[in-house]
Amino acid sequence: MKIRSAFPLMAIAILISCTAAQAQEAAPQPASAPAQTTDQATSATTAAATAQPETIPVTTQSLIAKQAYEMGMVQSEDRLFLDEGLDFFRQAVKADPTFAMGHAAVGYFTPDPGEARREGLLAVKYIDNASPDEQLLIRFMNGRKNGDLVPAISAMNDLLAKYPYDKRLANMAGGWLCSGQGAYERGEEILVRLLKLDPRYFPAMNNLAYCYALSGQAQLAPPLMEQYAAALPNEPNPQDSYGEIMRILGDYPAALEHYQKALQINPKFNFSQLGIASTYALMGDEKLARAQYLVAMKGTKDHVTQLNYRMLWGLTYYRENQPRVARLEMTKIAAEAHSEGLAVQEAEIHRTMALFNPNPAAALKDLDAARAVLSESHKVLPGDWETESSSILQSRAFIAAGAGMVNAAQAALKPLSEMAATSRSNPVQNSYHSANGAVLFAKGEYAAAIPELQEDAQNPLSLRLLAKAQAKAGQSAEAQKTLATLAAISDERVETAFAAPQARAQLKNDTVQTAQRGAH
Amino acid sequence: MRNRLFIACLLVLSAASVALATDFAVVVNPANPVRQLTLSELTRMFKAKTSSWPGGKGITIVLRDPNSPGTKFIIEKVLGGTLEEGKVVLSDPGRKATVPVVFAESDDEILRIVEGNPGAIGVIDVYNITSGVKVVKIDEKQPFDPGYALKGH
Repeated sequence: MKIRSAFPLMAIAILISCTAAQAQEAAPQPASAPAQTTDQATSATTAAATAQPETIPVTTQSLIAKQAYEMGMVQSEDRLFLDEGLDFFRQAVKADPTFAMGHAAVGYFTPDPGEARREGLLAVKYIDNASPDEQLLIRFMNGRKNGDLVPAISAMNDLLAKYPYDKRLANMAGGWLCSGQGAYERGEEILVRLLKLDPRYFPAMNNLAYCYALSGQAQLAPPLMEQYAAALPNEPNPQDSYGEIMRILGDYPAALEHYQKALQINPKFNFSQLGIASTYALMGDEKLARAQYLVAMKGTKDHVTQLNYRMLWGLTYYRENQPRVARLEMTKIAAEAHSEGLAVQEAEIHRTMALFNPNPAAALKDLDAARAVLSESHKVLPGDWETESSSILQSRAFIAAGAGMVNAAQAALKPLSEMAATSRSNPVQNSYHSANGAVLFAKGEYAAAIPELQEDAQNPLSLRLLAKAQAKAGQSAEAQKTLATLAAISDERVETAFAAPQARAQLKNDTVQTAQRGAH
Repeated sequence: MRNRLFIACLLVLSAASVALATDFAVVVNPANPVRQLTLSELTRMFKAKTSSWPGGKGITIVLRDPNSPGTKFIIEKVLGGTLEEGKVVLSDPGRKATVPVVFAESDDEILRIVEGNPGAIGVIDVYNITSGVKVVKIDEKQPFDPGYALKGH
């Protein structure tokens, strides 16, 4: 459930990391730090006046801002110390309040929606201070942020063509295409080209490994991770990423081993701590998972991140089938989110409680509460609002349809349909199609429901219903395949926690029945 | 670790990893004043029933190998029949004098041809577009818009 709120962090990681230095070895020092320690009003614009630089220059009036920005990039991008990186970005815009890229960085890295909105607007306000290529980058960022992807992609490709040796840019673009857009062919092409250019550019190995893991070529990922980890034995991120890949592949013991290695290298690399906690949760050791989540909570100073981790902590009670305790704890966490003004998180908690509520009518009331939270908040980013709203309506359609409440399901579909008619957002489109599939399923129109549910085929809820629709439509082999896909999903989402164990149980049951039939 | 966020994002924000929908962009030379077409107009071009742009420039269609999955989808969607029927229409020797069809080996090659030919119209994966070409709306929608006609799978 931290997943959605993590998206802005991902987005900036892709978009803004085009500063001068590549910091290939993830050195903690800024690769292009100026010698001066005092802020000087003289222009620190780094745009090369004559030769085309290898990387996109950063423009600021302040040397301190430039240095802090670079440190922010090193920490956030190369070392993945997001809290520390964010602090540097904040220092950058403090030193130069008109630093457009600095504001963009703060806006995207911060998990605080209010700060994200403010800083995003400041980036636009001061965009004229940036060089044309920075403007292109910021427009690319904004285009992606507000869903205006056509000019965003055009800008990205123009920058890639203009800066063919900007390894960080290529790596980030390739990473985004693979992992953020599912555009595997283009993403892989960029990353492979980059590794041909520099076979020792290890961050690209990392992204290419994920690209393979996500595009159905998982067997190609571990060798790349092995190389990546061997090349940077003193950095925690390679081991953490390796752990992540192994978790995707369902090899939990190996995942734990790599997360632990990351923590041995740097005990403060808190993402690995989170990885350990979530791996235990997926393994079914919820008590140990909770203990590990508590450690992860202590390991971050950011209150939004702490709350996200706490939500995962609360989810463990649902995972171990303690719905009463889970509801009690989730209610407390919702109150905390409310007091912090974190509307999306609060709404998501209500939605979680709805999913696990065995009483459909009561579950719909939980969803009413979720919608009410979003309607009263003014601090939510539009994209976050849209995503969570569509998820709430989707859940409503699924729960109602599952209970045979066709009218209620259709009632949820109507506003979702209106959202989908005007939104380019993938989550909104996917939610609409799958909710439509749920309504069709409830009406007994199984064959018609199948393609609609397939539109949302990464959502465990949709996969669960898809398997049922396929079975009802007489597509038994496809239904089994869908169940197997669902059973193999290993992530932290609430939808996975809800649907994947059911799929595993059903597969196990089917196997037993098949064996018994064979024995007879 | 960063990629945990990537994956999380993908899982939540995208459709299926393998079955993710891909939008195809219809691109023309930036000098071409046309900003949008209807799918019917595109069909007429593909069928060589429309042979010139409003300004009089002759139309050249540029596509990838017709056997590639993307082009198969485009041909079936625009021409409305099977791939084989579409290939017959597009390979008709008689159309060389009216609306020639060029089959390129890559989207890069399509981009180069369209950039260099004011009358060319190409179809490429939207993730390959650049500012060297202009993306034309189809039925008033551009790639990623809800209900966009050339959203493939």
